[in-house]
Amino acid sequence: MDSQTVLIIGGGVAGMEAARQLRLLGCEPVIVEKSDHLGGHVAGWHKLFPDMLSASSLIERMSESLDGITVYLKTQVASMNRLKDGFSVMLTNGTGLLCRAVLIASGFRLFEASRKEEYGYGVYDRVITNSDLEYWFNTGEDDRIPDNLSNIAFVHCVGSRDLKAGNPQCSKVCCMTAVKQAIEMKERFPDAEIWCFYMDLRLFGKKYEDFYINAQRDYGVHFVRGRVSEVSEDIDGRVILKAEDTLAGRQVKLKADLLVLMAGMLCNEDTAGLASMVRAEVDSDGFLRSRDNIFRINESSRPGIFFAGACTGTKTVPETVAEARAAALDIRNYLNGND
Amino acid sequence: MRERFATGFDPFVLPFLVGMIFVLGYCAYGIFRILFQLSRQDRRKFLLSLITPSTALKNIWDIFANCLLHVKLWKRNRMLGFMHSSIAFGWFMIILLGHIEVMVYCPERVRLLYYPIFFNYFVAENESTIGGAVLFFLMDFFLLLILTGIALAMIKRVRSRIFGMRRTTRPSALDRVGLYSLWAIFPLRLLAESFTAHISGGSFLTIPANWVFRQFLGNDLNMLPTWWAYSIALGVFMCVLPFTRYMHIPAEMMLIPMRNAGLKIRHPRKGFAKVEVLSCPGCGVCIDACPMSVKKVNIKDCTVYLNRQIRRGNEKRIEEISDKCLLCGKCEAVCQVGVEGPKLRIAQRASRRYGLTPDYSGIDVAPLVAAAKGSKVLYFSGCMTRLTPSIGKAVTSLMHKAGVDFVWMDRDEGLCCGRPLLTAGRIDAAIGLIHKNEEIILSSGADTLVLSCPICYKIFTERYSLPGVRVVNYTDYFSELVEHGRLHLTKGDVCYVYHDPCELGRGCGIYDSPRKLIGQAAGIAEAPKTREESICCGGSLGSLTLDFSQREAMTRNALKNLYESRADAIATACPLCLTTFSRYSERPVRDLAEVLDASCSG
Repeated sequence: MDSQTVLIIGGGVAGMEAARQLRLLGCEPVIVEKSDHLGGHVAGWHKLFPDMLSASSLIERMSESLDGITVYLKTQVASMNRLKDGFSVMLTNGTGLLCRAVLIASGFRLFEASRKEEYGYGVYDRVITNSDLEYWFNTGEDDRIPDNLSNIAFVHCVGSRDLKAGNPQCSKVCCMTAVKQAIEMKERFPDAEIWCFYMDLRLFGKKYEDFYINAQRDYGVHFVRGRVSEVSEDIDGRVILKAEDTLAGRQVKLKADLLVLMAGMLCNEDTAGLASMVRAEVDSDGFLRSRDNIFRINESSRPGIFFAGACTGTKTVPETVAEARAAALDIRNYLNGND
Repeated sequence: MRERFATGFDPFVLPFLVGMIFVLGYCAYGIFRILFQLSRQDRRKFLLSLITPSTALKNIWDIFANCLLHVKLWKRNRMLGFMHSSIAFGWFMIILLGHIEVMVYCPERVRLLYYPIFFNYFVAENESTIGGAVLFFLMDFFLLLILTGIALAMIKRVRSRIFGMRRTTRPSALDRVGLYSLWAIFPLRLLAESFTAHISGGSFLTIPANWVFRQFLGNDLNMLPTWWAYSIALGVFMCVLPFTRYMHIPAEMMLIPMRNAGLKIRHPRKGFAKVEVLSCPGCGVCIDACPMSVKKVNIKDCTVYLNRQIRRGNEKRIEEISDKCLLCGKCEAVCQVGVEGPKLRIAQRASRRYGLTPDYSGIDVAPLVAAAKGSKVLYFSGCMTRLTPSIGKAVTSLMHKAGVDFVWMDRDEGLCCGRPLLTAGRIDAAIGLIHKNEEIILSSGADTLVLSCPICYKIFTERYSLPGVRVVNYTDYFSELVEHGRLHLTKGDVCYVYHDPCELGRGCGIYDSPRKLIGQAAGIAEAPKTREESICCGGSLGSLTLDFSQREAMTRNALKNLYESRADAIATACPLCLTTFSRYSERPVRDLAEVLDASCSG
């Protein structure tokens, strides 16, 4: 096969950046995206930490760079078959493709917060998720968020590091997202008291710690170490949280006008199906298994199948972008036969 | 009729005699020991029940129906029922007929233990007399019945699946000795009686056999060795009986009167518990029933193995098995002799000593009493319902729609019902909480207490003393509201399969009212394993040591059973089942209250 076609599954940040780089490297990338827009989860976000970069402007800039690259929206992979030196792919829109390599960049899905029933998402009116809040930042549309807020609570690790929820790993970005969203809320509601309930804070990235200190010192956000045990509803619709402050060693009860749940990241539900088409392996955490987790994160155990972004584990945006570039280079080398 | 030996004795009876005397002595000693282990009240209660005509009659009937006819087993599995009752009842009839023969023909020998057993060797009677014809026919008939049972038992050993048992126990070495000697007894009896049939008479089985043998074994020299063999088989069986699972035969005859006397397990090893453990026949029905057995590593944690380990005194394993169990009660529900697996385990847990015992006497109930005042109807949701707010919300909405004036007593703050402590064996601590809750409820002035959590409901009905207050589960309460026309349900399109929560079904015997309610509010389907046979969701508070990965396999197995009904969604009536199923279910899971609320216009 002479073609230099590379199929990219997923049109999020990873897929878009990989496509751009692959074209610069002389390949012909094709993006297949199941939703009706490019940009994935980031497209629904408002601002990105730590620079408070506008997510929509980033996605816009990235989309512009894809001019001329074939993108199939609202399309999924129906079947993939390995040929002698490539893959024959059938898409759900009826298109057939022959490609030399496949880059899986199918990303993650958000933990369904309603599964943590004790927090009352979907049951109480004033309970939303991190993703709902970003949507509200963008559009201003959400009936659950009242005009006046005097107490706002954030609960970290909803569906992350939680065996009961079936997801033992850390979702990496929620600690920082909570700090960021707490600051953004404080900017909008300067009189509101903001409370973050956390197990421990994992602020590993560049400038993350600064954000955390700012949130406390300049914005007066309260950080309470302890998990929320249960949430009930007041007669006037406000939520009542019960938690243990494990540093003070006492129980706390808080009436909040809004409760924001930091829903974690899970592997996308269709990733396992994709993996089985090309016999790539799924890891014990549900994400795809890389050849190793140090040196060859972008490679699968099968030739011609590459990974980028959150399909192999939870990632931040900069990590995803870096992986997409690395994957593009790996694919170029693979096509050149320099494995 | 003539007696063949003036002495009425032959040395071949010795093995049997030794075995018989040993087993009788052992059982007599055992009975005294167990009576001694009972508390004074229990002993009094038991002995009194033996001379109370109504319980005495019940005892006799129960022993006849369960130990001989195996009525309960027939209902569950006809093949197994036939196998057991043919051996037990047949053997009993042979012993009885043997005694009748002795009493009819030579009443002076009746005090010899071996005479009824070896009658045909000692007494020559002709089948041409009326008495002989009838008695010998019956003897042969029951022997044939037993032999059929033994043949089935042999087939079962090789292929238990034919009998509908997926898994069965692995017999221990001594069990095998007992098993093979039991199998040998009756074919040997047939041989022995056949060899003497031309002298002592026989019937349709023994006479033809006698003809056949005499064709090629022309003399009577084979007679004595086969009677020896028969006696030895009996002797071996009886000598090993106390150390094998066959101990259940005498033990069950003790268990039935004790249970009828109303005794309860008070100590994990002694008294009533001991009788229960000895009554376990080791059939292994509880293995297939146990929700943990979906994982092969847990098979040895079923009740049958607990009983075996208790008999062996393996403390480490006893503790492990007792702590692991989910206490779903299914082994008890399917057990043929009624071994109370969960109660044995709770008693074992209760024997553990803790360094710290919580003391709840300092809790100030005044604010809780104040919160509970104001209405005749109280709603106690319990901790688990507070963690599944959708249930509390649906219950509140239904109460409003029915126009019930009620108070949600633990909406804001509340005390635990005590059931988790009780299942952990911390009975004193549980009673501390129970007294506090009793105080709150009695001071509130209410006359009805509605509970939406079956875990709470079970302990409220069993351990709480609330005079003047009606304790009712929400399934029954809503049924009444519907009957009285205060709630109007309209049938929706969704079809639900109802999962019986362990604590509500097997625990409290409530099976029908939730089904009836769902039937009025939506379509209803049944899973293959349902009601008493319902499979635990795996989330039970009962287990102290199972981790989430092990529980996951159980939850998925329970869900598989529910999926087979082809219903659109799953309905249950327990907050813990709801949470556990929601974690892995492919179909929506709803609480009964949510189902009703959705179809109730108010």
